[in-house]
Amino acid sequence: MLKSTIIDTRIRLRPSKKLLDLLDAQKEHFKELPDNVAQLLKSNGYVVPLGVQIIKANEKQYKRPTIDVVLLEKLTADVIDDPLIAKSDSEATEEDETPEEDQDQRQQPKGPTSFLYLSDLHWLNTFMSELRSKNICNVFLYQIIESSELILPENELKPRNPELEARCQRLREEQQNREYHKMTKNVDAGLKHYPEDTIAYQMKSINKQIIAVAQFIFSVAAGFVFGFLGINLIVGGLPFGFRLLLGVICALVIALAEMYFLAKKLHEYDEVLDAPKRKKPEPPTTSKGQRAKQHAE
Amino acid sequence: MPTAESKESAGQLLDELYLDMFHLIEEHTKCRINIERTNASGAILLARTKYQQGGSTISTAQIPTENSGEFNALCRVVSRTRDVDPKTSMEISIERHMVDKENGYVEPLHWFSVLPPMSLRGAVLKFKDCIELVVESTNLQRELNTVLRSIGKLRQYVARQ
Repeated sequence: MLKSTIIDTRIRLRPSKKLLDLLDAQKEHFKELPDNVAQLLKSNGYVVPLGVQIIKANEKQYKRPTIDVVLLEKLTADVIDDPLIAKSDSEATEEDETPEEDQDQRQQPKGPTSFLYLSDLHWLNTFMSELRSKNICNVFLYQIIESSELILPENELKPRNPELEARCQRLREEQQNREYHKMTKNVDAGLKHYPEDTIAYQMKSINKQIIAVAQFIFSVAAGFVFGFLGINLIVGGLPFGFRLLLGVICALVIALAEMYFLAKKLHEYDEVLDAPKRKKPEPPTTSKGQRAKQHAE
Repeated sequence: MPTAESKESAGQLLDELYLDMFHLIEEHTKCRINIERTNASGAILLARTKYQQGGSTISTAQIPTENSGEFNALCRVVSRTRDVDPKTSMEISIERHMVDKENGYVEPLHWFSVLPPMSLRGAVLKFKDCIELVVESTNLQRELNTVLRSIGKLRQYVARQ
């Protein structure tokens, strides 16, 4: 199993029964309703009053709220920043809420619409502050989301592509088979008829090298002959020592040039030898049987 | 002295802090995804360079060792204090220096080849972007921690009343 990239970066909030009940109780004060909340209410068996304007979730863009840092510091000035207290506090609240949450989760239908998103929470915040300013009910957002479950974006676990897996498996088997053959070549008489072992194959591969070397020798010899005889024929009457020197110089120049090409060719040949030999893919049924047999042998 | 007004404002502040926390979580997630994508595409470009140029062209053997000459870092992490409130937000940022051979700022790309291929240059750009994103993600995480701490404090304050 592989972890894939997170596709949906939105956080989700599974609303509790308390939240839904509260929304239901205050439904006559709705002026507008995000479509997600409307669907949520409907799917949980609540009635959405008619005449409520339903707004699309992505019509409004919400920005991060600006935090009044001065007020925050003033309020929390006498609170000791002790992680132990905070921990015990949160534990206590958790204990209080767990049975309730369990009940809620059983009642929740598992569907795509049973979550609240960030824009819905923004709407909820403005709605609650409106209610508070009208003195209808004095409930804060944090009090109603306390009992809800926050679902963070998570990586999806995805199985590996079966095609890739099969390919890897095939390559691994080929590699193992090759190693096995190499190991058992000397022991097993049944495997002696591999192309690398026949004389024809070896002759062929030697031929290539012999031809390359013979070419080298011939061209060097031809260069020497040109220097030794050819120039004497053209100019005439050269002393023997000078002719020899000319022949050697011509042969050397040609040998240098030829050496370069020879080295290149032999290097290429080495690389071909090093490269793994690929077998042609065989029909799966026979190849399986054959492979099994090879290992058994 | 707890009054109705201060309770109201504390409640509102707590609501805002919660919303801010949700925003920060989403942004942090997005940032992490971007890091993942950028890093992956950089790695693919590097792999392509290796594939095109052969395995031995880009290798760890070309990276300077302890015995090589010293050079200065082109990129540094510096912590920068925001002017608005220096207490809560300590942010870090990246400081880059221009390549300047005489003063010891060498171009690392030239360790590998004098004329680097396009894919290698692309990979370098991607990895540079990745560092910026990591810095952004760190800043977001610090902000998130601050918000979480203030939520804890404020909850204690509200619970006391």
